[in-house]
Amino acid sequence: MPPQIIRLVLLTIGIVCAYFMARYFLVPPSFGEYGHYRGAALQEIANREPFWAGRNTCDTCHKEIVQKLAKAEHQGLSCETCHGPSEAHVKDPEVKLPQMGYDKCVRCHEASPSRPKWLHQVTVADHYTGNVCTECHDPHQPKP
Amino acid sequence: MTSPSIIITNMAEGLPQFSGYVYPNERTLHPLWSVLIVVYPYITGLVAGAFIMASLVRVFKVKALEPIYRLALLTALAFLLCATLPLLFHLGHPERCFEIMMTPHISSPMAMFGFVYAWYLMAVLLLELWFDYRRDFVEWSRMASGPRSLIYRAFTLGVTDLSEPALSLDAKMGRFISIVGIPSAFLLHGYVGFIFGSIKANPWWGNVLMPIIFILSAVVSGMALCVFAYMFLCWARRITADMRCLDLMIRFLFYALVLDASIEGLDWLHRLYSAEEGIDVLKYVATSKLFYTLLIGQACLGTLVPLLLLGSMQIIGKKVAELNRRRVYFSSTVLILAGVLAMRWNVVIGGQLFSKSLRGFMSYKMEFAGHEGWWLSAALLALPFIILTVFVKYFLARDLPTIENVVPGATPPAAPPPARA
Amino acid sequence: MSENASQSGVVRRSQTAATGENVTRRRVLKSLAGITAGILALPAARMCKAAVQNGLASADSPPGYDPTQHKWLMALDVDRCIGCGMCVEACQAENSVPQGFFRTWIERYVIKKPEPESGKTRGETVVDSTNGGIGGFKPSAVAKEQILKSFFVPKMCNLCEHSPCTQVCPVGATFDAPDGAVLVDKNYCIGCGFCIQACPYGCRFFNPETHTADKCTLCYHRITRGLKPACVEICPSQARIFGDLKNPVTDDPLQRFITNNKVEELKANLGTGPRVAYAGLDEVVR
Repeated sequence: MPPQIIRLVLLTIGIVCAYFMARYFLVPPSFGEYGHYRGAALQEIANREPFWAGRNTCDTCHKEIVQKLAKAEHQGLSCETCHGPSEAHVKDPEVKLPQMGYDKCVRCHEASPSRPKWLHQVTVADHYTGNVCTECHDPHQPKP
Repeated sequence: MTSPSIIITNMAEGLPQFSGYVYPNERTLHPLWSVLIVVYPYITGLVAGAFIMASLVRVFKVKALEPIYRLALLTALAFLLCATLPLLFHLGHPERCFEIMMTPHISSPMAMFGFVYAWYLMAVLLLELWFDYRRDFVEWSRMASGPRSLIYRAFTLGVTDLSEPALSLDAKMGRFISIVGIPSAFLLHGYVGFIFGSIKANPWWGNVLMPIIFILSAVVSGMALCVFAYMFLCWARRITADMRCLDLMIRFLFYALVLDASIEGLDWLHRLYSAEEGIDVLKYVATSKLFYTLLIGQACLGTLVPLLLLGSMQIIGKKVAELNRRRVYFSSTVLILAGVLAMRWNVVIGGQLFSKSLRGFMSYKMEFAGHEGWWLSAALLALPFIILTVFVKYFLARDLPTIENVVPGATPPAAPPPARA
Repeated sequence: MSENASQSGVVRRSQTAATGENVTRRRVLKSLAGITAGILALPAARMCKAAVQNGLASADSPPGYDPTQHKWLMALDVDRCIGCGMCVEACQAENSVPQGFFRTWIERYVIKKPEPESGKTRGETVVDSTNGGIGGFKPSAVAKEQILKSFFVPKMCNLCEHSPCTQVCPVGATFDAPDGAVLVDKNYCIGCGFCIQACPYGCRFFNPETHTADKCTLCYHRITRGLKPACVEICPSQARIFGDLKNPVTDDPLQRFITNNKVEELKANLGTGPRVAYAGLDEVVR
């Protein structure tokens, strides 16, 4: 066998061996568990702490209001949609969530040609000049 | 689709500029694949094209091109060594770059980069250079002294046999690797074209002709680079270029340019004729946003003018004085090199100047400094030339006695100094 | 030249004969070194591997949650979206999405009336999405009298069957989870941006904080705990429907929705197999 070929074959074998040795060190153990990715990633992504508590959490303590809401037009809403994140309150129930302004109501109910017709919407300037919608509308039972 | 309304938003400095409707995630200051990703295919294209020029000598036995064989290979190597740099600078996590070789996802064309690059560098380019230079390395290691002798000895890989059978094996292997190298070169650059061609989400890119166009313009740019390097080297050494070699290189370059221009023209013709959804957006990008780089830079200066110049040289070249012919050749190659760089810009950046909503456009104002700045890209484009200068000094120097492949026009080498003990 | 070779060979052999003991000692030392290296190699290799692997976290699969037992999906009801933008804000808060980037967003389509005598069914379509819909939408620049129809369309990852984004990832950092979510492993992503280019829906972005690709995760950390995604939870008008295809049809809101409505997918012609079902879509939506 010519010396060039021998040297080159040895070199090639060396490189291929180095490659497989590197694979032993560098490919993460959970790789390939479910597919061509690290199976451990699923747990890592799932480990994040949820931020919004969700309506069911509010239901554990505030049953009456949730039941009242369930019978009215706002029944589809989550409590946090209007009240904001409940994190501080869930941690320490003494902490009250911040008061809501009327801009919360206007946000959804200001009339717009882009909004679907089933939504109750008003041109707020024509409808009411104050800034306390709750004068006439109970948010948990909005029909006056 | 109705034509997009051109209302420029965000005229304030430092905010992403866009017009019409653009998906919210597309509103970035610069395109995701910015100027670094323009430089990378340009460099690998030059590598592929320079190698094709060299293979004309070994595979197709074009004797007249013998003088530029080694220069072409060294040019390819100098550029290949720098090819990974723009990618490494561009990655969000360059320290994880090894993953592409450890867990390549075989459905991704980008995953083949690590292997194709390693194969091309080691099994094609370095190997072919080794078979061609081995004899010289053995000779030089015996004539030099100290660390330089050790370096040359290391390059021989310990194979110091200079007998006739060994040398003829070198030549045979060199030819064999050259043959294997041609499809490898196409793969090295073609996969980049395939990366763009496979993105069906983007109507500018996702196109079956994209890999073909990339390869053809790569061959053109690489050949032009060989001509440029050869003419520059002859000028720097105050020697006259071998006109037979030069004329032939230019002829091959001209043929490649004709083919490249035809296919690129076909691409546009087909797009305009079949006028699929989004053609208005693409026309606007091509004629307005890319007016200078596409219509002026790539089409006129980079393709039409060189075609006319080199084409006329093919017809009336014999009657033109050598000096003027060389001037035409040099200016044509400079235009072609700039034109192919413009082509890479037009594809990469152009494809990111319009929204996938087909209703709006983004802008790219290149900064000077930083990752996306043009200074870094200019430096990365200059680096291979510096490396090539070093290669030429050490491996193509006039005073290094070589048995064959003498630098053309040089005075015959002096007798080698006596071997030191 | 071969003469030179044999000459130097002769010279070397005679040198060896003169320093025989040195050679033997040299040989013994060499083999001792080799054996020591061999013994130390394996534990050294193990230590290196541990150091490297610690950088790539490895943990067991989610306890109590089996990804093969679920197939999550979302549907969007365009007729119920009121464009309040609360979903976009909820997502940003839930997932710490960087400013200026969106895992979900709302688009407003305003279709103008056609020019009289033009023979067309509609005039120009104006689309906008200021800040993705965060803070709601200001009144449109198009005057009310000129509007033929107008509506809001929520956009998000389309959870494709044949995701072009996961197809092109060079390292396997983005993937289709067995339970239907399309996720990014931000500890493995190299930040090449191929997936971002490949998504036809514009739902991926390059996160400037993690320097990796980022996208809607279907609030994976919520759904694996039996909660709903943040956008679904906060939406006031039931425009977003979430469910599990592995549930019985009658029990599942998403399957009921698809049974009871005519639905459509976005950019179906591209063959990405988008699974997110839209009800009430108009031809102008891209």
